[in-house]
Amino acid sequence: MNTRKLALLFLLGSAFAPISQAQIKHIEMRVEGMT
Amino acid sequence: MKQHLGRQSGVQSVDVSLIDGKVDVTPKEDGQIDPAQLLKAVYDSGVTVAEMDLTARGKIVKDAAGNFALQVSPNQSFAIAHNDLLKTVEPLADSSAVVTIRGELYRKPAGKKKTSASAPLKLLILEVQKKE
Repeated sequence: MNTRKLALLFLLGSAFAPISQAQIKHIEMRVEGMT
Repeated sequence: MKQHLGRQSGVQSVDVSLIDGKVDVTPKEDGQIDPAQLLKAVYDSGVTVAEMDLTARGKIVKDAAGNFALQVSPNQSFAIAHNDLLKTVEPLADSSAVVTIRGELYRKPAGKKKTSASAPLKLLILEVQKKE
């Protein structure tokens, strides 16, 4: 039973891991009219 | 403007170069930042954004209409504009592959026409930095 639960947790973790690592790294803007 | 941007949620640091009119925004560790909100914040501080580029890591997704998007978090994605570089990531759509993309999210249209900063942002891929 515990093994099945662990396997399920592993599968769920694998499914969500890639998107949880996704993110915005950097934003760069070129602006006009800045003083 | 620097203070105004620094107060936006998800912003860790802001670097402004007065010489070349460049503004660099580094998001916090979790990367939860809204570029449209930043664009609006810059406009609100009386400065015009000529161009906004973004580097982001995420998954390529395809909707029912066949449009592609870069999903950077479960509730944030950017529609991808069509160009040749899109073709290089199209095969990764709806797979578990994660890509790092540098792209242009906004460019001020030529001419004097006033544009809204709240218009939907579309990502034009400039460089595919990494496929995992």
